[in-house]
Amino acid sequence: MNPQDQDKLEAAIHRVLRRLPDRKAPRSLEARVLAELGRRASLPWWRKSFAHWPSAVRGGFFVGSVLAAALVVAGLFILGRSPGANQLTSGISTSFAWLVVARDVVSASLYRVKAVIAEVPPLWLYGGGAALALCYAGAAAAGAAAYRALSFGRQPQ
Amino acid sequence: MNDEPKVHTQPLGLGPPLDFTTFMHKYQDMVFSTSARLVRNDAQAEDISQEVFIKAHEHFEMLSTSPTAGGWLKTVATNLSLNHLQRYRNRWKFFSEFTSSSDEDAPAVDFAAPDTFFEGVDSEERRAWVEEALSKLPDHQRVPLVLYHFEDIPYDEIARRLGVSLAKVKTDILRARAALAKILSRGGASLEATSR
Repeated sequence: MNPQDQDKLEAAIHRVLRRLPDRKAPRSLEARVLAELGRRASLPWWRKSFAHWPSAVRGGFFVGSVLAAALVVAGLFILGRSPGANQLTSGISTSFAWLVVARDVVSASLYRVKAVIAEVPPLWLYGGGAALALCYAGAAAAGAAAYRALSFGRQPQ
Repeated sequence: MNDEPKVHTQPLGLGPPLDFTTFMHKYQDMVFSTSARLVRNDAQAEDISQEVFIKAHEHFEMLSTSPTAGGWLKTVATNLSLNHLQRYRNRWKFFSEFTSSSDEDAPAVDFAAPDTFFEGVDSEERRAWVEEALSKLPDHQRVPLVLYHFEDIPYDEIARRLGVSLAKVKTDILRARAALAKILSRGGASLEATSR
């Protein structure tokens, strides 16, 4: 199609589309909107978003949050300086000892995998990589072919 | 994506404030049409329209006297419809890139007399046919076509909002116009034949 034809087509389609009147909204739309607005208005303030909370409550919530954060920091500080802190630390370390074991297992596994890979000839590794890439490309091509088939099936006749 | 554009207000007293129900009556067809043409599903378009008016209610104090309220509603309806489509779009976005090619292979369409689409056909039948023809277009053609011709959004902005290349937007719109012209020519001809 040459550019002149494209311009003519654009103008013609534009005219046809812009002459279209708006579609009628369903009769149920107004009732649905008003019902939803009514439902939201009847919710108590604590079930609405923070922006709809009364300003006094929002202020109180802010002050409360600051106080709670300060209490947590102060509590941790006091706990760190107390005589029982060492006992608490060792108790926590015992509870999470399994993390150390897990870390050792993972690092030992990685060491063995590295050792095995070092033994495999590089050509095998490249071949494996190429096979994986081929499989990926094949799957993408099959997907594209399927999409094209379905897409052309949906094209207007 | 920010769904809510800025509301332009005018000095108080220049426009009579509307009550919300009157406001809805005034704009509901436009909001529903905007959404329905993009999502191609009346039930989903109604859900989106509901969401648009609930957002409008939150800004109603400003919108009720704003001369740009219609534009605001249209923009929110478009944004919400595009967000809705976005959830499903990733399925076809990647593979649809394979189907796009250069403008040169766009199908040739005979539109020797484009002004005579539906000549002599009742306007309601014409409207139904054009809406039907639009709904037959695949999403990746219909959505940019609607954004360009109904919402007056330029090509580069459409490309940015849909997250596709500018070339693809142009090709898809060109193909959509060609396909639409083809359907309309046939529809007009068959309608003229039946109306005689």
